[in-house]
Amino acid sequence: MKKYFLYPGCSLEASASHYLISVKAMAPSLGIEWVEINDWNCCGASVSYVGASELQVAVLNARNLALAEAAGGYDIVAPCSSCYVIENKINRELKADPEFMAQVNEILAEDGLNYHGSLEVRHLLDVLYNDVGLDAVKQAVKRPLTGLQVAGYVGCQTTRPFGEYDSVENPHVMDDLLAALGATVVDFNKKMQCCGSGLFLTEMDRSMPLVREILEDAEAHGANVVSTACPMCQMNLEIYQDKINKALGTHFNRPIVFISQLMAVAFGLDPVQAGALNRNIVPAQGVIMDALKSAAVKAAKPAAEPVVIGKLTPQQKYQAFLDLTMAGDDEQAVYNTMKKYLLDKDQVAQIKKTIKEAALDRLSD
Amino acid sequence: MANDSAAKAAPETGSEAPQTPKKTTKGRRAYDPTFAQEVFDNVDSGEEIKLCMQCGVCSGSCPFKMDMKYSPRKLFTMIRSGERDRVLSSPDIMLCTSCYRCKVRCPRGIRVIDVMHGLAHYALEQGFEPRHDSAQFGRKFWDNIFKKGRIDEKDVAMRYTLADGLVPGIKKGLDMQDLGLKQVLHRRLNILPVRSIKGIKGLKKMLEKAAAAKHGRKA
Repeated sequence: MKKYFLYPGCSLEASASHYLISVKAMAPSLGIEWVEINDWNCCGASVSYVGASELQVAVLNARNLALAEAAGGYDIVAPCSSCYVIENKINRELKADPEFMAQVNEILAEDGLNYHGSLEVRHLLDVLYNDVGLDAVKQAVKRPLTGLQVAGYVGCQTTRPFGEYDSVENPHVMDDLLAALGATVVDFNKKMQCCGSGLFLTEMDRSMPLVREILEDAEAHGANVVSTACPMCQMNLEIYQDKINKALGTHFNRPIVFISQLMAVAFGLDPVQAGALNRNIVPAQGVIMDALKSAAVKAAKPAAEPVVIGKLTPQQKYQAFLDLTMAGDDEQAVYNTMKKYLLDKDQVAQIKKTIKEAALDRLSD
Repeated sequence: MANDSAAKAAPETGSEAPQTPKKTTKGRRAYDPTFAQEVFDNVDSGEEIKLCMQCGVCSGSCPFKMDMKYSPRKLFTMIRSGERDRVLSSPDIMLCTSCYRCKVRCPRGIRVIDVMHGLAHYALEQGFEPRHDSAQFGRKFWDNIFKKGRIDEKDVAMRYTLADGLVPGIKKGLDMQDLGLKQVLHRRLNILPVRSIKGIKGLKKMLEKAAAAKHGRKA
């Protein structure tokens, strides 16, 4: 068991309660032990600038760092992207600038606290990818998410601005983790488009088109669900879907899940107790389970018997297939092909049958 | 603020009357460096603007670029040319979602977001209100942190809804009630009030002390 400080943040206690439940539930499968920072406070998020100065926000975050440092020397893990960015930003600034550190420590001394700069602040995805690793994730999978098409929505603050563990423009960590769970990761060009963040509520007219583009892109690429690792993204993409449908004439009813919820399902844990999938406002559990079931049914079907054609090399077989496809009903062309590849009538009939079946299969798909 | 010697009056002017840019003898607008200096001195991260080379990558990267009259690049140059009122009253300084796309792309490494937030904070402090709703929301948000140390989402939402009085509040509330109900039904909204952190008294003291001090970070 590797220990980390968990900095859940305010969202995970309320609107993203399903994130916290699933993060806690799936951790033992990966050998992670969370130690919650005692009496942590809010990081200030992205709208604190209205009331607070930069120094006040720094003090707010330094308090958490000091509390964690006093309790042990583990890395701080923030599942919330906003907490991660702000806590990390302040930590980096404090470490880089001794004078600033001294100034902040002087203020922290008001409550008998002190920070020496010994901790690292990391995102949940960073720990899952770099500390746990894809192999360990694969090993923990008991119920692979085969057949579930997932769009990995990374959002802004999950990798930006520091790019410590992933690209800031074209990230892959989320997709790799989803693939390790057995899910099919769909192409998703808008995986880094902003969802409106904390401005969604107050600037709804402007933010709704952003979310529409994200959801449209995910659906166009065949995603059953969208996966995220940020409470703000999850909320903005999910709970406003009705409002967007009303305002922009769309028909979204797309489940937005946390990657930890998918992990809980893939690790064979209870989808409700551990995955908290009952807390998704757009129902997610049914969509996930249906996708897994239909994939299992497909896999159970016996595969069509392979065609055996004489003693041809694979290239020749391929060519014969192509030639016969092109020949179609033209008898002269069929005869030429038979002569060229030394096929008998039975073999030709067999190949033609396969071609026909393949075409019908394509049509029925 | 009131004791205005002639030399120090410059930064305070303009809050009453709209500023008219000075003209040079050739009739062109003259650059007025006093506002830039005011920004460097008083706005958090304001000195970052000195690095800007006007390439416009920040503006092109912004998710809300279509809604901005003055993009970050334009705002930076307006600060340099001294257009105090137009900058501090511009709604565009409060349209930042903190997506950090401009920050990661800026070839000069300017913390554009911190500058925008600093400008918005300073504008509000100086009595401007670039965006009413976002300002109200932000105030309630910070009040919550200051009083409890943590955010109580429903409390912030409620206070924000009623911030402009009862009638607009009820209208806003009716508009949003289905969202609140859904969250309660899915157990994503705790009906009980969130309790303050244990160290709230100490935190308040720290925040008050921080409010009085100036940021000591090097640019």
